[in-house]
Amino acid sequence: MKQMIKFILNGEPVELEIEPHLTLLQLLRDKLELTGTKEGCGMGECGACTVLLDGRTVNSCIFPALEVEGKKVMTIEGLTDAQGNLHPIQKAFVEYGAIQCGFCTPGMVLSAKALLDESPKPTEEEIRHGIAGNLCRCTGYLQIIQAIKAVSEQ
Amino acid sequence: MQDFINIGKRIPKMDAEEKVTGKAIYIHDLKIPGMLYGKILYSPHPHARILNIDTTKAETLPGVKAVLTGYNIPTIKFGFYKDNVPLKANKVCSFRDEVAAVAATDPDIAQEALELIKVEYEILPAVFDPEEAMMAGAPLIHEEHVGGKEKKPTNILNLPWRLVSGDVEEARKTSAFVAEDRFKVTWVTHCCLGTSGCVAQFDLKNNLTVYSITQIPSLAQRDYTDALAAMGLQGKKARVIKTMIGGGFGSKLDTYAFEYIAILLAHRTRKPVKIVFSREEEFFATSPRQPAVIDISQGCTKDGRLTFRDIRMILDNGAYTSWGATTPSVMMMPISSLYKVPNVRYVAKCIYTNNTYSQAMRGYGNPQATFAIDSQIDILAEMAGIDPLDFRMRNANTPGEVTPQNFKINTCGLRECIDAVAQKLDWRQNRGRRDGKGLGMASMIHVGGGARVYKSDGCGTIIKIDDFGTVNVITGATDMGQGAETVIAQIVAEALGVRVEDVVVTHTDTDICPWDVGAHASRTTFVAGNSALGAAKKIKHILLEVAAQSMGESPESLDIRDRVIFSKKDPEKKTPLGKALRAAHYTSGGKMIMAEHFYDPANENLDREFKGNLSVTYAYGTHGVEVEVDKETGQVKILKYVAAHDVGRAINPMLLEGQVYGGATMGIGYALTERLILKDGKVMNPNFLDYKMLTSKDVPNIEPLVIETNDQFGPFGAKGIGEPGSVPTAPAIANAIYDAVGVRIRDLPITPEKVLAALQEKKK
Amino acid sequence: MEGSMKKFDYLRPQTLEEAFSLLNQHGKKAKLIAGGTDVIVLIKQKAMMPQVLISLRGIPGLDQIRYDGALKIGAMVTHRDIEKSEVIRKEFSALTDAADVLGSIQIRNVATIGGNICTAAPSADTATPLLVLGTQVKIKSLSEERTVPIEGFFTGPGETILKKGEMVTELIIPKPLPNTGSAYSKLQRRLALDLPILGVSVLLSLDKGTVSCSDMLCTTSPISSILHTMEKDELTCKEIRIALGVAAPTPIRAVKAENLMRGKKISDELLEEVANTASVEAQPRDSIRGEAWYRKDLIRVLVKRMAMKSIERVVRPEETIFPERLW
Repeated sequence: MKQMIKFILNGEPVELEIEPHLTLLQLLRDKLELTGTKEGCGMGECGACTVLLDGRTVNSCIFPALEVEGKKVMTIEGLTDAQGNLHPIQKAFVEYGAIQCGFCTPGMVLSAKALLDESPKPTEEEIRHGIAGNLCRCTGYLQIIQAIKAVSEQ
Repeated sequence: MQDFINIGKRIPKMDAEEKVTGKAIYIHDLKIPGMLYGKILYSPHPHARILNIDTTKAETLPGVKAVLTGYNIPTIKFGFYKDNVPLKANKVCSFRDEVAAVAATDPDIAQEALELIKVEYEILPAVFDPEEAMMAGAPLIHEEHVGGKEKKPTNILNLPWRLVSGDVEEARKTSAFVAEDRFKVTWVTHCCLGTSGCVAQFDLKNNLTVYSITQIPSLAQRDYTDALAAMGLQGKKARVIKTMIGGGFGSKLDTYAFEYIAILLAHRTRKPVKIVFSREEEFFATSPRQPAVIDISQGCTKDGRLTFRDIRMILDNGAYTSWGATTPSVMMMPISSLYKVPNVRYVAKCIYTNNTYSQAMRGYGNPQATFAIDSQIDILAEMAGIDPLDFRMRNANTPGEVTPQNFKINTCGLRECIDAVAQKLDWRQNRGRRDGKGLGMASMIHVGGGARVYKSDGCGTIIKIDDFGTVNVITGATDMGQGAETVIAQIVAEALGVRVEDVVVTHTDTDICPWDVGAHASRTTFVAGNSALGAAKKIKHILLEVAAQSMGESPESLDIRDRVIFSKKDPEKKTPLGKALRAAHYTSGGKMIMAEHFYDPANENLDREFKGNLSVTYAYGTHGVEVEVDKETGQVKILKYVAAHDVGRAINPMLLEGQVYGGATMGIGYALTERLILKDGKVMNPNFLDYKMLTSKDVPNIEPLVIETNDQFGPFGAKGIGEPGSVPTAPAIANAIYDAVGVRIRDLPITPEKVLAALQEKKK
Repeated sequence: MEGSMKKFDYLRPQTLEEAFSLLNQHGKKAKLIAGGTDVIVLIKQKAMMPQVLISLRGIPGLDQIRYDGALKIGAMVTHRDIEKSEVIRKEFSALTDAADVLGSIQIRNVATIGGNICTAAPSADTATPLLVLGTQVKIKSLSEERTVPIEGFFTGPGETILKKGEMVTELIIPKPLPNTGSAYSKLQRRLALDLPILGVSVLLSLDKGTVSCSDMLCTTSPISSILHTMEKDELTCKEIRIALGVAAPTPIRAVKAENLMRGKKISDELLEEVANTASVEAQPRDSIRGEAWYRKDLIRVLVKRMAMKSIERVVRPEETIFPERLW
């Protein structure tokens, strides 16, 4: 039986009726057509589907959609400002070569945001720890770490 | 030193913004109105006869629009050996065999329909060890396959890979030291974060469009056209449109069953059909890196000069044939040409088994062969009492050399790479401590100037410039994330005298883009770069001719720099590029500013003896590692990692470093943690939890050392770098472990268990 | 496309009573769901096919960490909350060790400790720390409430003593004796997103909190030499608990090994014997995640190392970085 949910998505209120078994990832990609959040494995093992829920990272592919009720969700689409300017983290990823195929990037950027929101001046160890739940096959992580470090030094 | 505006600059990728904002459309994001979703039913047995397939319940499930089996489709044979069909009839030969496919209005219904298909099998005995499969009496995978002199049914493929140069037997007799070892490498897989998939769609006239993530658009177009002919659609067109690609690494160098299945479903339903793999399918139904059993012997003189290299390999071909069976053609490269070896013999057999089948993965056989060769170099050096650093230097390749495989070595920075690594690791000081910490190094050779593995190694480029100076570069190349687009833009911008931001690169549509043989062999910067360079030079010529008229100068006395055409004699005499362009178009008797260039490098196909100058120039490199081994647990920690590469010239140092970091990380996983575990033909770890690719906490701080030898044939001197980073990692690490604790591991991955077992064995 | 799931209904009770009555109402068709990081995955893998999921998220009072005489952790407390709890890090360190290495931050933000023990995987990171900490599990049903020691909670791989209609509401960990240190080691192939090949937890209570050679601790000196030097301090073990994960069908206490050490003076030879005994007590299997012989060998190594770490935590409580004797 469909249920109604109300939540804040990228700063805007959203209200819709969904089937109860939907994951947050399905809600975002299939119902709301926000395809920026990716499915890498569907099992919570790669972090490609990472979104922010009340500022904390979660794997949306295994998160029950109904549980966003009354909460704030941020996806990659919500990171640019109203004029479409890139967030400093996005800028740094672009400038430091932290993006190759880009499939892991949306999730990676949001993990970086959660890390920097909590620790604005992380050590290299803390950066590695902060993005450890996001797999990347292309970059070998090092330029991603450099990009995050650069943002923290701004 | 030349004063470049665009070359050698750390320019961000042109598609980075699209990707970092989530706007990029990958195959998973593509939605076409009316699109159906396809799903595939796989075999539950490694080897069985198909007795009956009952699809009636599946067909009547609401939402299901088509159900296909091997019995209701035309025969489409594909693969290098044409031994594979999209849906199997008569029998299944491995767990990943496709038995039926469904198209439905949503993926859940398609999945449900699969569960309603009833297949009856008669289980057949199976064989999973290639050495067993070679023997008489072993179960035959393809009963109609005959081979050998007597043309008897056999599992041994008719691919007698054999390279001989000089006299290995004689050299063995006269060698002062001879090492003999068996090395084993197993399956590992690409782990692209974006899984495989495509969307197939027919128009009303039965012309086909496939939205694809292929690395070989022109060749895929050919494969699809062949399929159309097999479907009775001779003469119909196939168009390949690429979406953003979520990782390649060689995984998309062949066409797969699922693509043909999508095409067949689209044709049957008259609707677009999308098939996208789940992660589990990505692990068990795509083709991994070729495993090998390698028997290798090398010898040297008393003063450490290599005398011969003798290698025999047995390759598990799996149930069907793809590029894995051709990896010997690339393995020959390090075998014949890594270090100076006067006498070489290489024999490889490919054997059918009921395991999964392999294809290309970053290095295409080179990582496998180099693991054996450069591990054994250390073994040989120790026998001869020579420091492995000196041993390598003594045998290092040099510019101008012609190797036993008739490779003509152009630029060669191998000595510089070995030296750079030795310095960074403080080799003389730090090696030989045997206190749990150790140093190791290993080198590599790879094609760096294209590779004529097909009849053509070519790539076409068309450039047109509009009224305002926007340079449209239409290339046959493929950008799968490595940054080919950006590098091509840099080359064109530099050659034309404009800036990178003026250049737009299009590479995604076979209806528009020129021909290219594919993104393999690390050829894109070199071949597509040269192709674009050739077209850019032609366009510059046209531009200068047009400007010459209005400027009252001869074209030869003009040049363009930073969007300004100026007279070389009097640089103050200049005109903005845009003005010259508008003058060209917007006039009577105007001229279109457009040029094309097809560049096919002056390299050679390997002849019947597998000799020939495969590439125009070769890339060299050396990796050095410092490890620490925990003697109680066998765990290996990398303390220092340096990767020196002779790249000709770094067109974009930032992207180049990205290739080194990414390649080396993949290679470290190959050495220490990654393994696709097959048990009786079944993949036991088809998920990211149990397939151990490295995380951000595991990757060491890799230091790339860029050696520029300025190759005369490369665009602005550049050679390839896509694969080299993955090639010497395993032997470098194995050698370092030996230096640290005195144990030599000869099979990958070097797990803590293997190290601990070897340490315990050593104690006894 | 996503691994498709069989559809289910998802109910969000607002009180415990409502949850219990829904559980009784739907019987076999229903399953409780906490964070969902196990349940949703199991449903996708078709290992579980409930028609109804009853979510515990909306029920107040289950997500608190309180320390009043004993440490009380609500079943819905996330591993991230445990990771960030100062009091748990200081006094119940083994549990923080587990929270630090479980899965990934994304998982820890959602996965609950109640869910972790109810899924009851032999590899559950929190299981061996909870075992050595002497945890009691509070179980409630519609009609009754009982508290069981965690030793009796796990009955088999994926199985617990929970009866139909029961749920775990709280974990109660008694205040440790003075001079107690604990540590958990997760033997894994990579440093994140991994399940343990082997899990070893140790808790040690000492008769005093200082030793003369304290500057030798938290270095890469071999454990044997540190313990030999420490012998002159005549440190006595007042209490020891050793728990092993992925070494038997359920997480277990190595009771025979513990008995050898309890009440005795700590020495290198004794610790060696204790570690060996723990290794013999365990019955690890071969699996694709690890081989039995390796697990057995490493029990010996890790028991010794975690005992040393426990001592270090008593003597140098301000220390946060421990030598990487292990990668």
